[in-house]
Amino acid sequence: MPDEKVQKGIVFNIQRYTIHDGPGIRTEVFLKGCSLHCKWCSNPESINSKPEVGVYKTKCIGKEHCGYCDKVCPSGAIVREEHGFTIGIDREKCIGCFRCTDICPANALKKWGKEMTADEVMEEILADRETMFRSGGGATFSGGESLLQIDFLVELLKKCRGKNIHTCVETALNVPKENIEKAVPYTDMFIFDIKEMNTEKHKTFAKYGNERVLENAVYISETGIPYVIRIPYVPLHTGTKENVEAMTRFINEKFKNKPLQIQFLRFRELGEEKYESLGIKYPMKDNGFEKFELEKDIHEMVDLMKNAGLPAVAGTTTPIK
Amino acid sequence: MAIKACGLEPYDKNYGVGVSALGENFSPYERINKLLKNFHNTPYTVDSQRAVLVTEAYKEYAADAQIIKVAKALKYILEKVDIQINEGEILVGGNGAPMRSNPVFPEFSYAWVADEIKNFPLHEREYCPYAPQTEKQKADLLSIEDFWKNNTVDDHSCARLTKEEIMASQMGYGLFVNTIILRAGVGHTSPNYRKLLSKGYIGIRKEIEEELAKLDRKNPDHLAKIYYYQASLITIDAAEIYCKRYASLAREMAEKAEPERAKELIQIAETCEWISVNPPRNFREAIQLFLLGTCIIVTEANGQSISYGRFDQFMYPFYEKDIENGVATKEEIQELIEALFIKLSGMQKFRDKNAVRQASGRGLGGDCMTVGGVDRRGKDATNDLTFLVLEARNHTRLISPWMAVRLHKNTPYELKLVTANSIRMGTGEPKIFNDEVAIPAGLGKGYSIEDARDYTVVGCVEIDAAGYEYGCHDASYFNVSRVLELAINDGKWLEDNVQMGIHTGYLKDMKSFDEVLEAFDKQMEYMVGLMISSINTIEQVHKEFKPLPYLSLLIEDCVKNGRDVTAGGAKYNLTGPQALALGTAADSLSTIKQLIFDEKKITAEELIDALKKNWEGYEPLYRLVNSDKVHHYGNDDDYADELAKFVFDTYCKYVERRPNVRGGKFAPGVYSVAGNVPHGLIQWASADGRQAHEPVSDCIGAVHTHVASHDIKGPTAMLNSVAKLDHERAGNGTLLNWKFNPSSVQGETGLNNFIALLDMIIEKKLMHSQFNVITREQLLAAQQDPEKYKHLLIRVAGYSAYFVDLGKALQRDIIERTELSFD
Repeated sequence: MPDEKVQKGIVFNIQRYTIHDGPGIRTEVFLKGCSLHCKWCSNPESINSKPEVGVYKTKCIGKEHCGYCDKVCPSGAIVREEHGFTIGIDREKCIGCFRCTDICPANALKKWGKEMTADEVMEEILADRETMFRSGGGATFSGGESLLQIDFLVELLKKCRGKNIHTCVETALNVPKENIEKAVPYTDMFIFDIKEMNTEKHKTFAKYGNERVLENAVYISETGIPYVIRIPYVPLHTGTKENVEAMTRFINEKFKNKPLQIQFLRFRELGEEKYESLGIKYPMKDNGFEKFELEKDIHEMVDLMKNAGLPAVAGTTTPIK
Repeated sequence: MAIKACGLEPYDKNYGVGVSALGENFSPYERINKLLKNFHNTPYTVDSQRAVLVTEAYKEYAADAQIIKVAKALKYILEKVDIQINEGEILVGGNGAPMRSNPVFPEFSYAWVADEIKNFPLHEREYCPYAPQTEKQKADLLSIEDFWKNNTVDDHSCARLTKEEIMASQMGYGLFVNTIILRAGVGHTSPNYRKLLSKGYIGIRKEIEEELAKLDRKNPDHLAKIYYYQASLITIDAAEIYCKRYASLAREMAEKAEPERAKELIQIAETCEWISVNPPRNFREAIQLFLLGTCIIVTEANGQSISYGRFDQFMYPFYEKDIENGVATKEEIQELIEALFIKLSGMQKFRDKNAVRQASGRGLGGDCMTVGGVDRRGKDATNDLTFLVLEARNHTRLISPWMAVRLHKNTPYELKLVTANSIRMGTGEPKIFNDEVAIPAGLGKGYSIEDARDYTVVGCVEIDAAGYEYGCHDASYFNVSRVLELAINDGKWLEDNVQMGIHTGYLKDMKSFDEVLEAFDKQMEYMVGLMISSINTIEQVHKEFKPLPYLSLLIEDCVKNGRDVTAGGAKYNLTGPQALALGTAADSLSTIKQLIFDEKKITAEELIDALKKNWEGYEPLYRLVNSDKVHHYGNDDDYADELAKFVFDTYCKYVERRPNVRGGKFAPGVYSVAGNVPHGLIQWASADGRQAHEPVSDCIGAVHTHVASHDIKGPTAMLNSVAKLDHERAGNGTLLNWKFNPSSVQGETGLNNFIALLDMIIEKKLMHSQFNVITREQLLAAQQDPEKYKHLLIRVAGYSAYFVDLGKALQRDIIERTELSFD
């Protein structure tokens, strides 16, 4: 009977003691797979919904001493440089058996994504429950796109509610509305991104336009569940005055309940090493952003929104009340 | 007038995050900023005067009973040593040498002093160098070399230690190290300031005279006591003379000073005159007596960690009265406290060139001041002075005093906030003690409930019944990971196969992991035994050769018992040796259990061979042991955490309640302070993935080797792991060092969550935590440009020190500790 099978999710990281994604001290569960593919994503290992092999070539100790990965690889997918150090995986040949990551003693080959049951995830979450209660924290489900693994997510949310753990769902909102509807009854707070109001511009850095994102955002504002909006402030892309002005108008006009907070997030050049480990070129390299005064610009945008009556802040260090 | 518990500045004042002591003019007082500048511009030197004077006195009074002789020597020094009052000072005192100059104490150990002067010029030292010595100073110091040959505590002790004790100690293979009490005074105590301030010297004198009057010279049993009391009276005379000399000097200087300064000098003179005999009448007199009273202790002996007790408690009555009567303002009192901190930082202790390579050589060392906590009835004792003291620390950012804040479940939020803001600044101060554990730990050591609640922190880590205890808190550092080395190799060292321990068999012959644990237990019992007998031998020599009559005036119940502290006169007589390398031992056991016995991935022979070859040719195994594929302590993983608990308990079991030479008993501690670096330096490879000579794990923290930090799950996981240990059992103290990236405690969110973490530390019963809030990049930059970063104060372990003063190995160790990041 298929419905008796224990459902598993693909988790690529569980981080304890995070303080920037929701109130208090939280344990953050990162679910693998995302549909939006933003150019500046700093967690490229989160995009693909299946587990994959990351290669950290500086950690490899070389074939002369080790060479275990070659010995276990059934498809000859290990790519070495002339001195015998592993520098990559031939992803065409790789069959995804992960024998190489299991045996690599140096963590040079790392498996991104782990199949876990909800109970296994809960065990990790509950380990910090006292700290969560003391700090007004809880669990945050993030990604990737947390709402894509919706059945697994709902199971986790239900279990948290059963243990009185406060939950945040962090999402980029590029998902079917019914996924959100499924999560709503068990979610204590949403944190979602709005990136760009012009859908054509949206398509220049993401795989899709913004229609579904905005529609879902309006829906969340109608559910009565507290929420926080995040604006990744990226020069030349989202970081323009007209975008922020359009967003301000949109929020003021369309959103039923007002957000608890609107956080401007400064673009940071992060994740290059991770891109490399997956054999992907870092898309934000040589971005020419040095000439921008990000801190100053962000503060101007914060003031702009504040003047329009919205609770905007720079960064994530202002408590969410 | 009601006094609200809050200092001069708003309690939520933010001093900055991760800024440490970089910059200047931290104080709102111009005088303090000038004094600080003068302090920082004064070179460190070594002074010969005290050494010469004590030698003269020992010759002059050679025929006296030992305790009379040492009392007369102290008096001789205090009568004759040069004293100074520096520009702008409002408090006076010193330890037998000018500001930032090191007096020398040949009574304890002298061979190394003579050796360094002859062969290793002090100004050429790699770490903690001193200004070049004058020819006269050199000649003076060399002139006494012959007198002290085979005549010091060090010499007498070494003559009495057995071959095995020496082989196991720093003079041999260094499984335990007892240099601190071998080469200097025992120190590590906190005097009864309450008594000094309430009775004054006159009151203590009266107490002694009354006791002396009860004794009879015809009764042979009374003779020792009579000598003790006579010696005590000599030291009180000495104290009076010393205070009065400052009064005369101040008057003399006033005659030539500008009117404003003359007024201050007259006030100094009147204060010193009065307190030379009488109990203080106001805060100014009390703080001056506190200072001079302490100065004499550190002139009598150079024992480290003479600690300043619960300053906010015993000074409070004077503060309250002055404010009520309008005698002083809060501002004046704040300035006095800041002036005090500069005076305390000006006093130095001379350490040998090897000691400073491993730890900071500046300041007296271990001079800890404690604020906050509960009172003798168990109620919160936070008061206005608690805040003023912490502000003074934020305004001076010096090495002294080492600051401890006691927190408990009812600590007011304001104090937690001030504490968190001080820590966020990044100087590593203050450290956090948890009353919820420290008080039960004190009870376990035999304190009364009132004394347990009234504990103070001594030195780096130690819990002390302030004024009632002589605790020899730093008796030894014992490397538990080397016990494991013996346990898997039939009692022989892996490096050279020399037999050290008893025969408990080889790893390859052990049928189960339980047999490994059993061998570890047996080796532990034997090696702890050697350490205990060594400590007792050294303490016995202190008792015979260097009694401390002045200190004993201020430790209860010496006067009542008619015995000095070294002879067991105190109410509580404990000896505290520490276990270090807990994480190294736990992860080594975990490697053996998992890879050899549970998963059978490797054989015992392979592991032993890998260790003997310092992992050479075993690169994959070395990496594997350092990876998260092996269970490691510090990740909230019972597999490894249970092994840490086993090591902890096994050490404590063989230390606790053993008798010491003062009629008291041993109490274990579990921490390394910075000892993890020198201990590691002399240790061969270990099974936790440590190469030969690398530092072992610090305090009760996780392993961090050159290739990996073994704790990877963040602060809450670490907290849970450490909370599994039985902190109450380690009556001499435990310590966890935390290192946070400034970004993770930045802003209001960072602050709130940091305070929540402090609450969790209280709730989960961690005894003691210390924090570094500094970036790795800042530390690396400081290594590159020491001149620019010369005031960068950081937490080492148990104490803060100027980063650039630390040896390279210790710098690297600090940089490699896991940086806990929250995002």
